[in-house]
Amino acid sequence: MAGGQTNRLNNGGLIDRSAPLNFRFDGKSFSGFEGDTLASALVANGVKLVGRSFKYHRPRGILTAGSEEPNALVELRTGARREPNTKATTAELYEGLEAASQNRWPSLRFDVMSVNQLFSPIFVAGFYYKTFMWPAKFWEAIYEPAIRRAAGLGRAAGVADPDHYDKAWAHCDVLIAGSGPAGLAAALAAGRSGARVILCEEDFAFGGRLLSDGGTIDGLPAAEWLSRALAELAAMPDVRILTRTTLFGVYDGGTYGALERVNDHMPSPPEHQVRQRMWRIVAKRYVVAAGALERPIVFAGNDTPGVMMASAMRTYVGRYAAVPAKRIALFTNNEDGWRTVETALGAGLQIAAVIDARPDVSPSHRSLASRNGFTVLHGSVSGVDGGKDGVRKIAVSLTGGARAEVEADGLAVSGGWNPAVGLTSYHRGRPKWRDDIAAFVPDGAPPGMVAAGAANGDFGLGACLAKGFAAGVAAAHGAGHSGKAGTAPVANDEAFSLTPLWHVAGKGKAFVDYQHDVTASDIELAQREGFESVEHLKRYTTLGMATDQGKTSNVAGLAIMAAVTGKSIPETGTTIYRPPYVPVAIGAFAGHHRDETFHATRLTPSHHWAAEQGAVFVDTGLWKRAQWYPRAGEKDWLESVTREVKAVRSGVGFCDVSTLGKIDVHGLDAGAFLDRVYINTFSNLAVGKARYGLMLREDGIVYDDGTTSRLAEDHYFLTTTTAKAGLVMQHLEFCRQVLFPELDVQLTSVSDQWAQFSIAGPKTRDLLKEIVDPAEDLSNEGFPFMGAREVALRGGIKARLFRISFSGEMAFEISVPARYGEAMARNLMLAGEPFGVTPYGTEALGVMRIEKGHVAGPELNGTTTAADLGLGKMTSTKKDFIGRVMAGREALVAPDRQVVVGVKPTDRARRLRSGAHIIPKGQTPGPGNDQGYVTSVCFSPTSDQWIGLALVERGRERIGEIVHAHDPIRAEDYDVELCNPVFYDPDGGRQRG
Amino acid sequence: MAEFSWDVRSPLDRALAVGRYGARGDAGVTLTEIRNFDLVQVMARRGKAAEMAKAAKARFGSAAPKTPQAVQGSDATLIWSGPDQFFVLSKGGKHAIGALGQAFAQSASLSDQSHARVLISVSGVKARAMLAKLSSIDLHSGVFAVGAAAATSMDHTSVTLWRGNDLADGLAVFNVLVFATFAESLWHTMLDSAAEYGLAIAHSEQLA
Repeated sequence: MAGGQTNRLNNGGLIDRSAPLNFRFDGKSFSGFEGDTLASALVANGVKLVGRSFKYHRPRGILTAGSEEPNALVELRTGARREPNTKATTAELYEGLEAASQNRWPSLRFDVMSVNQLFSPIFVAGFYYKTFMWPAKFWEAIYEPAIRRAAGLGRAAGVADPDHYDKAWAHCDVLIAGSGPAGLAAALAAGRSGARVILCEEDFAFGGRLLSDGGTIDGLPAAEWLSRALAELAAMPDVRILTRTTLFGVYDGGTYGALERVNDHMPSPPEHQVRQRMWRIVAKRYVVAAGALERPIVFAGNDTPGVMMASAMRTYVGRYAAVPAKRIALFTNNEDGWRTVETALGAGLQIAAVIDARPDVSPSHRSLASRNGFTVLHGSVSGVDGGKDGVRKIAVSLTGGARAEVEADGLAVSGGWNPAVGLTSYHRGRPKWRDDIAAFVPDGAPPGMVAAGAANGDFGLGACLAKGFAAGVAAAHGAGHSGKAGTAPVANDEAFSLTPLWHVAGKGKAFVDYQHDVTASDIELAQREGFESVEHLKRYTTLGMATDQGKTSNVAGLAIMAAVTGKSIPETGTTIYRPPYVPVAIGAFAGHHRDETFHATRLTPSHHWAAEQGAVFVDTGLWKRAQWYPRAGEKDWLESVTREVKAVRSGVGFCDVSTLGKIDVHGLDAGAFLDRVYINTFSNLAVGKARYGLMLREDGIVYDDGTTSRLAEDHYFLTTTTAKAGLVMQHLEFCRQVLFPELDVQLTSVSDQWAQFSIAGPKTRDLLKEIVDPAEDLSNEGFPFMGAREVALRGGIKARLFRISFSGEMAFEISVPARYGEAMARNLMLAGEPFGVTPYGTEALGVMRIEKGHVAGPELNGTTTAADLGLGKMTSTKKDFIGRVMAGREALVAPDRQVVVGVKPTDRARRLRSGAHIIPKGQTPGPGNDQGYVTSVCFSPTSDQWIGLALVERGRERIGEIVHAHDPIRAEDYDVELCNPVFYDPDGGRQRG
Repeated sequence: MAEFSWDVRSPLDRALAVGRYGARGDAGVTLTEIRNFDLVQVMARRGKAAEMAKAAKARFGSAAPKTPQAVQGSDATLIWSGPDQFFVLSKGGKHAIGALGQAFAQSASLSDQSHARVLISVSGVKARAMLAKLSSIDLHSGVFAVGAAAATSMDHTSVTLWRGNDLADGLAVFNVLVFATFAESLWHTMLDSAAEYGLAIAHSEQLA
């Protein structure tokens, strides 16, 4: 036995004894070898107790050697990388690995909550539903938190995951899940045929059961054949083979999800490496060679540490040279289980007895037993004597009624094999029952998919190779490749004779679902209480709802339900199969999209300049926009914003408005097109002029607004709001392509082509004169309000200048090609320096538009009509346009609609908040007298008080009325006066001056 | 009177640091930003697709692509961008929007996109592995051949992708045109995606 590893064989196995690895489990130091899993290393160190069960806190040991493991769940790693519920059976050992058992306190060996077992008679199925019903309000505050503390699995790290996760696409002709004999044969066949192949193996080593059970293929030992097959595949340029990769889901159109655990086998990913990679694989054909899972038999004490699946026992002994027990008993109902005897004897272990539930045992096995001095008992295991230190004695009910006892420190169990039918059933497929193997097998599969080998119920090695190979040839052919595939690998088939046995009656708890502590009697109780349908059974008992999704328990559970209802298993049916096949970390689905990179961001052309100025940025959709530009000594945002507004109103300021959507509308029918999408007319707009436009949805509600200029007879430049830029482009494309294909119109998004700045304030013209070529006439006559034309700038570039105003001030918008955007910002500062130019952000922009009564997003909110917004007069009656007819519906023209109006508090010192409801003064607020709400508010430096816009029933008729603002969210109640929404320069003299 | 200088500045000016990034050793991915190009969107007027094609042929010596392809013409690359529309990518003003107006006056509408996009060229032995993280397009040599193009998305961002001529060492070159305001965001995603392979970063004034 290797140093310290009391249960390690000196020879054999696929571990590297020259590469010892140190690890800690529950704080205790152990060693293992390269090639071990955490589970195999624990086995090699004689550790039997690895966890406590979910509900009863029963001591549990390792049951399996794969991803179906229900018991051996640990918290792997520490600190921010702590991962709860990691299966020790799939966690690869690495130097310095730290793992801790779960769901125990204060220690695994002495667990206070194991007293739950004493109360187990009341912890039956539906216990929580029945017990914690009253009083109802106690559930959230008291019962649930207490139950969650007592029950449950591992603890999340509680801090952000420091690792990077990745997502990638892959494409192939033939996708293969599983690298056992069937998968490898399929890969060889498809690869030789010339197909692009992706082979995914969940394990870190290829070979599937070949690694544990060996065999002879094409006259070669399995290991030799395996290395030749892998070498051949590696030499094929279009074959990609992935280890540590689980195919977990099947999606539409031949798309599959796979998770590659790129660096889970390292203490932490090397620098610049990802932790896990989520693959979205698009495949023309898919061969499921995911194998089968050996299933337990339900008997009293079947969860005692030391009771293990027979195939897992062979894996630990054969693959890992780790001995789960020295004196082993085998309980089987099939021929395959007997292979465990050969493996154990080969490793020099003792066989205590074989308990075979079948009526007969083959002569060769009888002679094996007599040669090796162990007994063969006909019957079933009915009880296990043992505890946290493992199995001591096994009680056997012999066929005929007598009882026997077997002394052993380990019990291998084989109840037969369940093909992995999940992947073939994820599109609502239902597997079909096969009596000869007493198991469900795939019954068809989604298009392009086929199961082969053990996954399809063919358990023999020869059959796996032959069927896998044939599936590979067919898949390649289906994908259009029919090169020479050669001949299939050949091997003999092992015998597989099975007598179904699901549940052995006996005293004591007999577990069906180990992870969720569901016993045979829970299923019987569920049936008695009427939860007979498998879907009800599942939810009532939580059978199969743990992280293992019932891989070792579902079929046994169905069989027990079938027995108590007197139905057959296929009549009882299966629950719906849903991905993922194994748990997948949410981080892997998120990949790169977390924190600052949660979504793509857009930066304005002057972004980095604004950042240099110390701008505070706000996220508006994908954009980062300068919200305000704080200056030293300013105590809060309001002070900065107020300064910016005053600077604009009294001098000049500028703001990057490049976020507005910009669309080139070309074509001979561009004007006619715009007439149909806007409520007002654009075909009569003169070249060199701009006009404000409003467009409706089909249903007559306002969709978007913006200024559109006519740059040439057949060229308009349309702008949209920032929020609707993409949607308006889509809408216009739809109009162009689908509604009005007869019009000659071409659309191009030029949002990113132009850096556009609003320059506003009484000194705007002074600033512009500095930067615009002196030959350009900027006078009111030479460049009147709503003018739009190209101008030359000093220094040699051209710009587009639009005389439009959102602030209510004398204003222009100037646009230059985007790569000049930063230079434009710097030059505006330079040109405006003599006039105290002030860059302003979106807050000041918002304040000035509210002061001016301009509507924006909060008013264009998907419920308002043009008339509601006070823009009804824009509606042309001389033409048709989108939304015209529906806008005339009775409710949309009703006189009592909520319309835009101004509000100001009667107490000038009061702050307004948007969202407050408008109620008639003196009435108690309620849905019956709710007359609208405040949409936009700001502190108006010009009015020196808070002001707002509101949508109020018949608002325009009620100017001057004092109403009540009721804000239940912030618990505020106050009076406001309804007023003209244009608080600033109502006659518009400033912007026209 | 102040002196105004009008420096052009690439949207990647701040984010792009020439040199190495990510894993050490041979760089698996080379990212090169191509700066200061002329890019014009050409869209056929209604019923004028044939005339537009004729005009393109006369101007560039090659037919404009009718399917997702990038076609090399004289001094310009014509890249499919949709039914009856394509981009003209060139350098030095010869095929800039002002220069093309006459050629397409009767047949197409032109829209300048020179400042609206950033052009990133991706090459290296791990170029496909890195792009597989960003694009759902199958870039296998036999599927996405030299000259293949796609109007697609990367990292939820619209891009025009096409495969240029292979480098002298036989490695493929993938060109990505991304909207300028998204460029820095996509650039960082590209760096993250390529970090494990090691990156060589450069910018160039030359079209590949």
